[in-house]
Amino acid sequence: MKVALERDWCIGAGNCALTAPAVFDQDPDDAVVVLLDDSPPESERTAVEEAIARCPSAVIRLLS
Amino acid sequence: MLLPIPEEEVRPFEPPPEYAELRAGPRVVRVACPTGIDAWLVSDYEGVREVLGDGRRFSTRPGQAAHVLSAFGAGEKPVEGSAETPVQSFAQTDGPEHIRIRRNFAPQVSHARRLAELRPMIEQITDDAITRMLASPQPYLLHSQFSTAITTAVIAELIGVPGDRHHLLHDAATALFTTSTKPEELRTALEPLWRYLYELIATRRARPGDDVLSRMIEHSADSERPLTDAELTGMNGALLIAGFDTTASMITYGLVCLWQTPGQWERLCADPGLAVTATEELVRYLAAGTGLLRQATEDTRIHGQPIRAGDYVVVAVQSGNRDPDLHADGDTFDLGRKPGAHLGFGHGAHACVGQQIARMELTTVLGALARRVPTLRLAVPFEQIEWKKDSVVRGPVDLPVVWS
Ligand code: HEM
Ligand code: SF4
Repeated sequence: MKVALERDWCIGAGNCALTAPAVFDQDPDDAVVVLLDDSPPESERTAVEEAIARCPSAVIRLLS
Repeated sequence: MLLPIPEEEVRPFEPPPEYAELRAGPRVVRVACPTGIDAWLVSDYEGVREVLGDGRRFSTRPGQAAHVLSAFGAGEKPVEGSAETPVQSFAQTDGPEHIRIRRNFAPQVSHARRLAELRPMIEQITDDAITRMLASPQPYLLHSQFSTAITTAVIAELIGVPGDRHHLLHDAATALFTTSTKPEELRTALEPLWRYLYELIATRRARPGDDVLSRMIEHSADSERPLTDAELTGMNGALLIAGFDTTASMITYGLVCLWQTPGQWERLCADPGLAVTATEELVRYLAAGTGLLRQATEDTRIHGQPIRAGDYVVVAVQSGNRDPDLHADGDTFDLGRKPGAHLGFGHGAHACVGQQIARMELTTVLGALARRVPTLRLAVPFEQIEWKKDSVVRGPVDLPVVWS
């Protein structure tokens, strides 16, 4: 699975880091999303899909 | 048609009945709103999500509640004697300007690590409030003495506003959220809060503390454009005003919903850990009953309906959250429901700044009540509850309760 971000639109709401903490973190300075793993294992797919649905700013993309 | 408004005394917890038909049928219709403007009303999940998610086509410029609050926007006037610039309502800006402000909020209120630091404070305030309640005579007025006391203490503690100034944010929020407030009344109610915040900013610039305001000043200090006093006042004023009544009403209204829906309160008391999903379900089920307002920035379409640049659009959030497209049984309240991507905290760039704090408060309070006061219940028949009619923050005016 491949994940990408469009960080320009991130408002740091933190839903991604709370939903899929193995894949997303937040920058300690501005709380903008940080990708911990751009090719997470298949086992993270549900969590990543949930993070995408719950991200208010459409920042996260699933590339494969 | 007229914009449908919830009627809690007739149909508690429910969006107006028109919505089920609108969702299944035209989805986008023309309505007349209480403040005199005409708007396109969007009632289905996909449509609401599309409008809120696209700040480029749908702006918040007119103010998110200007379809129901006639004085909305009248608060952004210069504060006499303290600054030339008006207090800016960042919530009525879009695009990069708005994102700049949001990024100054986020580290203080929605960063996972920061939230972990705030949890003990919220737990302590909740525990103290329950202890005070249990020592009080019955019946006890839950909304004013408990829910509002907790959420006010939390937001005031975050920003460092002492107890003798809490009335400033209560007065400001009451004026702002009440539909009948006149523009000059709103200005009169907001000005003391703005004035106080300007003073507080000056104090914190000189002697920083560990509060949100000091952290915002420090955080923005080495950025390209440090936050101005007017911006800091607008931001912290927004947190104080939007931060307590929304959450307090969700606690109070939420408890009534848990008590009135058979089996739900008993289930929570048997397993207080369910407070996490109960919180999410309550916000999905009850939030934003009067909808949110946007204005089209260009000629566009929603579900094929042509919308002209400048047209107003009202999104019916509560209706969208009941849409079978989100949950097949969306009209059923189920506190154990696996949370979906509901829109109760909004969606898009303006999605609730305080949503993680609100979640933490609701979860803490519901869990603690279920553990410590499982006998908590209404002191009057349901029909005697008085509901707020003239407010965008829905729920009981107050709530007499007893326990044993
Ligand atoms: C259960 C409680 C709450 C609910 C249901 C709620 C709901 C909402 C909704 C639906 C919006 C979006 C408005 C729009 O898109 O036009 C919003 C925005 C906002 N909320 Fe909340 N809220 C709650 C608690 C809080 C708390 C605790 C705070 C502060 C700590 C807060 C501060 C704000 C602010 C400042 C905005 C404006 C954001 C912007 O325009 O960028 N809210 N809220
Ligand atoms: S949920 Fe979306 S907006 Fe929020 S921090 Fe994650 S990527 Fe950013």
